[in-house]
Amino acid sequence: MQLKRENLIPALRLLAAQGEILVPTAVDEKVSKFAPWDGSSAPDLALVNTTLPPKDTLFPHQEGMYRYKTAGEPSLEEIVEAPARILFGVRPCDARSIDCMDKVFLGDKYEDAFYARRRANVTVIAHTCAQTGPTCFCDSMGLSPAEAPSADLLLSDTETGWLVTAQTEKGEAVAALWKDLTAEGGEAAPAPACTLKTNMSDALAGTLVSRFEDPIWDEVCHACLGCGTCTYLCPTCYCFDINHEDHGGEGTQFRCWDSCMFSDYTRMAGGHNPRPSKKERLRNRYLHKLAYFKERYGQILCVGCGRCVGHCPSHLDITAFIDKAAERFGEGK
Amino acid sequence: MSDIQSALRETAKKLLTEGTVTCVIGWGETRFPDKTTPIFVKTPEDAEKLVWNAHCVCGLAKYMLDNRCPEGKLAICVRGCDSRAVNRIVEDKQYKREDLYLIGLPCEGKDAPICATCTHRNPVVYDVLLGGPVPEIEVSQEDRFQAVTALEGLTPAEQYDYWQKQFSKCIHCYACRNACPACNCTECYADQYRVGWQGKQIDKAENQVYGLTRAFHVGDRCIECGECERVCPMGLPIMSQTRKILKDINDLWGNYECGLTDSRPHILGEFDLSDRDDFM
Ligand code: SF4
Ligand code: SF4
Ligand code: SF4
Ligand code: SF4
Ligand code: SF4
Repeated sequence: MQLKRENLIPALRLLAAQGEILVPTAVDEKVSKFAPWDGSSAPDLALVNTTLPPKDTLFPHQEGMYRYKTAGEPSLEEIVEAPARILFGVRPCDARSIDCMDKVFLGDKYEDAFYARRRANVTVIAHTCAQTGPTCFCDSMGLSPAEAPSADLLLSDTETGWLVTAQTEKGEAVAALWKDLTAEGGEAAPAPACTLKTNMSDALAGTLVSRFEDPIWDEVCHACLGCGTCTYLCPTCYCFDINHEDHGGEGTQFRCWDSCMFSDYTRMAGGHNPRPSKKERLRNRYLHKLAYFKERYGQILCVGCGRCVGHCPSHLDITAFIDKAAERFGEGK
Repeated sequence: MSDIQSALRETAKKLLTEGTVTCVIGWGETRFPDKTTPIFVKTPEDAEKLVWNAHCVCGLAKYMLDNRCPEGKLAICVRGCDSRAVNRIVEDKQYKREDLYLIGLPCEGKDAPICATCTHRNPVVYDVLLGGPVPEIEVSQEDRFQAVTALEGLTPAEQYDYWQKQFSKCIHCYACRNACPACNCTECYADQYRVGWQGKQIDKAENQVYGLTRAFHVGDRCIECGECERVCPMGLPIMSQTRKILKDINDLWGNYECGLTDSRPHILGEFDLSDRDDFM
């Protein structure tokens, strides 16, 4: 079925009755993110990769977990927040990142209640990429700019609007809602190719772990400043820290994003730090993205969105690392 | 290839071959034509990787601090801003000048907004200068403090709203701190969060605490290199804060610029028994 361009706003209005719609939005001339739809204007679907990924919707930068009282009658109350939300216009790379987070937070052995509640109420509407940005490399990471298999619904660009493909039950519900606004016809535009390419392969993912002591880590780490930019802008980084805000006898336990690039991430109670320098920290990030996650969950944790490449203050580039490693270890495709 | 770039490679090669230094910090290519990255050259052969072009924007002096107790000398390529950053760090007693070899590179301005108001394009300190000095550009105090003056024109309520909106974007990535040559504490107050100085919460209060504390910790020592704003992924105009402090100092005591020598006491860090204290 095809949704014509002129029917986009009516379609969003129908959707708005189901929950809060978050669309790619330019906050100012430098920053863009998924923000509530204003209810009347057409979302900027040409924004290739918002500065901030949509992960905040499911895994907030800061999330209250419990309210407690220690004074008087002690009490503990779980904070339940799971608003009905629709992520609209999610790129294939970001759609895949949600799939990665699902693997972690909705695992067989452990389910994270906070994430699970939010996730159940979020519908993901993905949108194919008509053009790619200079730092996009999803098609080197096993994805395609034209597909988002884990999204609930996929909108593929046609000449006059979008093909609507429901991929899950939630997606079918949306397609049914749009029944009167869609019609047969339309042909999806061919998928563009990413301009940035890198030589990632399953074999390399397997080899990297055994190269833990290779000089390569020392060679690539020095320009890194140890900031949180790459991990905080990464759609798949899911590390968090738990802390509390105490107001004398009562307070809130909360969790917030943390980053393996920070020095205090691995600092132990006695002061020892098993990852004492940028070499160990960068090695952990690259290995987690490219190898560890695959060992555990069967897929690579880097979806090729290019945010870390585009925003690193020192212009470190994970694709340059991958190619250097592939060349050195002879594990290229 | 520019003459300066060839001279830079030759100089680095010579320094490494003769064992004068153990490493040369400069800029090297990336796979993007409009970006370079800091590189750390340790062998004479690798000197060929050094580049000198309009995209050499990353500040280099901060990397000295990766090893505060070096064995042997370190060479750093310094533009005007990098040389002031070196002075900043040496003046703050975080590195010894004699452990450095500075390759001065007069700079015609790079692909960075800060270069439009740069008052020292020629290195203010160096051991060797490659190429002749470039003409300095005329930067009036009005131009230097233009962003600050514009904000001063707002009412306090408008100013609060403005900063509120800016700080609400901060994600506590600390790139601004990690890139800043004036931020050279071995351990930042913000990393000692169990003490309770800086909460990890992303909210109005904690975002402002970080912004204001950072500004006051570096304000009177800021060398105006612009790195903090260049690296901020959220586009916070945080240099307007440090420049506000510099402007106030300027208004009270006359022209004040940091990092021009390595031995000038910084103004807010000075205490003297004869200081006026009529406000007490
Ligand atoms: S963004 Fe760049 S400088 Fe910052 S931690 Fe990541 S790799 Fe290092
Ligand atoms: S590692 Fe970089 S390119 Fe890969 S998903 Fe994260 S931000 Fe995107
Ligand atoms: S360990 Fe590092 S790379 Fe992996 S998810 Fe956590 S912050 Fe991201
Ligand atoms: S505060 Fe900003 S402009 Fe000033 S020295 Fe630090 S990074 Fe440079
Ligand atoms: S670089 Fe920007 S976002 Fe990061 S901590 Fe500094 S002000 Fe906040």
